[in-house]
Amino acid sequence: MVKAYIGIDVGSVSTNVVAIDENANVLFNIYIRTNGQSIDSVKKGIESLKQQLDHRKYTISGVGTTGSGRQIAGVMVGADVVKNEITAHAVATTYFVPEVRTIFEIGGQDSKIIFIKDGMVVDFAMNTVCAAGTGSFLDHQSERLGISIEQFGDYALASKNDVRIAGRCTVFAESDMIAKQQYGFSKPDIINGLCQALVRNYINNLARGKKLEPPFVFQGGVAANSGIKAAFEKEIGHEVIIPSYFNVMGAIGTAILAKEEIQKTGKKTNFRGFHALQTDFVPSSFICQGCSNNCEVIKVKMNGQTVAMWGDRCGMWQEKVSQVVI
Amino acid sequence: MKIGIPRALLYYYYFPFWKAFFEALDMEVVVSEETNKGILNKGIKESVSEICVPIKLYIGHAIQLLNKEIDYIFVPRMVSIQSGEYFCPKFMGLPDMLRHGVKGLEGKIITCQIKSDSDDISAPENYYPMAEVLGVTKEQIQVAASVAREQWIGFRMFNKSGFTAVEAMKMIQTNDSLEVLLNNQQSSKPVLRIGLIGYVYNIYDPFLNMNIIEKLRELNVDFITFDMLEEAQLQEKIKDMEKTLFWTFSNKLLGAGLRLFHEPTIDGIIHLTAFGCGPDSFMGKLFEFESDQTGVPFMSIRVDEHTGENHLQTRIEAFVDMLKRKKFIA
Repeated sequence: MVKAYIGIDVGSVSTNVVAIDENANVLFNIYIRTNGQSIDSVKKGIESLKQQLDHRKYTISGVGTTGSGRQIAGVMVGADVVKNEITAHAVATTYFVPEVRTIFEIGGQDSKIIFIKDGMVVDFAMNTVCAAGTGSFLDHQSERLGISIEQFGDYALASKNDVRIAGRCTVFAESDMIAKQQYGFSKPDIINGLCQALVRNYINNLARGKKLEPPFVFQGGVAANSGIKAAFEKEIGHEVIIPSYFNVMGAIGTAILAKEEIQKTGKKTNFRGFHALQTDFVPSSFICQGCSNNCEVIKVKMNGQTVAMWGDRCGMWQEKVSQVVI
Repeated sequence: MKIGIPRALLYYYYFPFWKAFFEALDMEVVVSEETNKGILNKGIKESVSEICVPIKLYIGHAIQLLNKEIDYIFVPRMVSIQSGEYFCPKFMGLPDMLRHGVKGLEGKIITCQIKSDSDDISAPENYYPMAEVLGVTKEQIQVAASVAREQWIGFRMFNKSGFTAVEAMKMIQTNDSLEVLLNNQQSSKPVLRIGLIGYVYNIYDPFLNMNIIEKLRELNVDFITFDMLEEAQLQEKIKDMEKTLFWTFSNKLLGAGLRLFHEPTIDGIIHLTAFGCGPDSFMGKLFEFESDQTGVPFMSIRVDEHTGENHLQTRIEAFVDMLKRKKFIA
C-alpha cells in the first residue's frame, strides 16, 4: 500500500480537497464553490476523492485542514493538523518553487502577501476587515457586466485603451466603472482598468512600500484570471509565475504539513475514514446567556452527539465538550 | 461614601494607587465589571461615533457603575506625567466628555487634575480640589496619597519584574503573590519571546483584544510589555531623537519598541493598536522601519468594535509559526 495524505482548505468562496503521496505528488485535486455550505462542500470533495483514488493502492495516512473553516472541517474528518492559511500556502509554494521570494495570494474574501527568504516565511500581510479587491468583488462585477468570471481575463487582454478606475474601495470602484461605461468605454477597457485597480490596491495595502523580490508566485482562485496576472506583471515589471495547482495551494500545503507531522511523530492518523461521510454533521449556534457577553456559540453534532463547540469567550462550552470521550 | 472606578484606560496603570487613596479616606471603592459585550454596546451608544474604542469602553464602564449605587465616579483629568509631554487630548477632556456628553453622568463625576513630572502621581496638591466634595481635610489627603504611593510602588515592582499589570494587581491585593507566581509558571518552558507593544488598556483588556495574552500563552510564547520595562530603559532609545511623538504613553511605547527590536532574546514584535489611534499610525510606521533595519519580524494587530476572532487567531498563529520555523529550522 502507498501512503496518501489529504489536505482540505475550506474558504469563504471555495472548498478545495487534495490528496498527495509521500513525495508530495498531487494524486487528486478538486475545487468546489462553497456557497456557504462548508460541511456539504467538504463531504462532496471527500466523496469524489473516494471515488477517484484507488483503494487497493492507496491508504490514507494523514489529514490536514486549513482556511477559515479549518476547525469544523478538522472535526468532521478527524484532522491531524489544523493550520492557518498563511503557513499552509507558504509550505506548498516553497515546495513547488523552492527559490520563491514573494507570494501573491488572492482568494475569495481575503488576500495575502507572503515574503520568503531561504524557504522561510520572513514577513506577511493580510488584508484588513475590508474585502476590496478580492475574488468576491470580481465575481460581483462580472455579474454586473453580464460576462462570466472565466472570460474576465480574455476581455482584459483585449483592451486597447487605458482606463483608470479607482481601486481604493469597491464602492468607489463600482461608481467609477459605471461612469466610465457611460462615457462609452468598451467592456474590455473597463475590465482591464478594473484589473489594474485591483492590483494597485493590493500592492498599496499589502506590500506597503516593502521591497518586492523575484521570483514572484501568484496563486489563489483569482490567479485563474489572466487579466490580473498581466496587471501584476505591468505593475511590478517582472514575470509572475502561476503554479499548476494555483487554486488548491492551501490544501496542498496542509497535506504536506500533515505528512510531516505523521512522519515526525510516527502516530496513526486521526482520519475518521470515508464512511464518516455518511455521518450526519449538524452545526447549530445559540446565544449563551451566561453573562452579558452573549457569545454566539457554535455547536457541531455528529450522529446526535456534540463533538465540538467554540465561539465562547470564557471557554465554558469548549471545556464541556473536551470532557466527552468521542 | 462609595466611589466607582471604571475598569478601563489607566485603570491598568494607576488603579492600585487610586484604590488605596480612597480607602485611606474611608471610602468604599467599587470597580466596574470586566468588559463584556453589554458594556461595549452601552459605550458605543453613548459616544460620538468617530472616537476610538478604548474611550467608548471607558464610557460603557462608567455607565455600568451607575447601577452600583455609587456616590461618585472618579474620572481624573490626566494632563501630564512627564515634563514637556502631555496626554492624548481625549484623556484631558475625559471628565467633561462624560459629564456633558453622557446621559445620567452629570453630577456623578468627581475629578481632579493630575500633573506630575514622573509616573509618580502622589503629590497631594493633585487631589486637594476634591477635598470639599469628599468632606476630608488636606492633611487627610496628604496621608492618603502617601499610603497610596506605597501600594502603587508595590504593584509597580511586581509589574516591572515581568508580571502583567493584571497579575501585579492581584499580587498586591491578595497578598498571595506566590499563588500568582505558581500559576504563571505552570506552562512549560516558552519556545519564543516576543515584544507585545500596546497601551495598557489595549493589551490588558481581554475582551477588547480577544484575549491575546491567553492566545500567546497557549502557543507557548512568552512576552514582554512596555510597562515591564524600567523608565530609564524606555527613555534610552528615544532621548536622542530629534523629535519624539506627541503623547507620553506613545513615547513610552516607542521607547519600548525601539529597545526590544535590538534585544537579542526577542524573536519578534507585535504592535496591538486600536483602530483610529492617531499617534499609533506614526508609531507603526517607525516600527516598520526598525523591523526592516534589524530584520526582527514585526506585525500590527488592529482591534476595533468587531468581534470576529478568526482573523486575529490566524494572524497570531501564522506569526508564531513563522518565528518558530525561523528559530528552529534555520
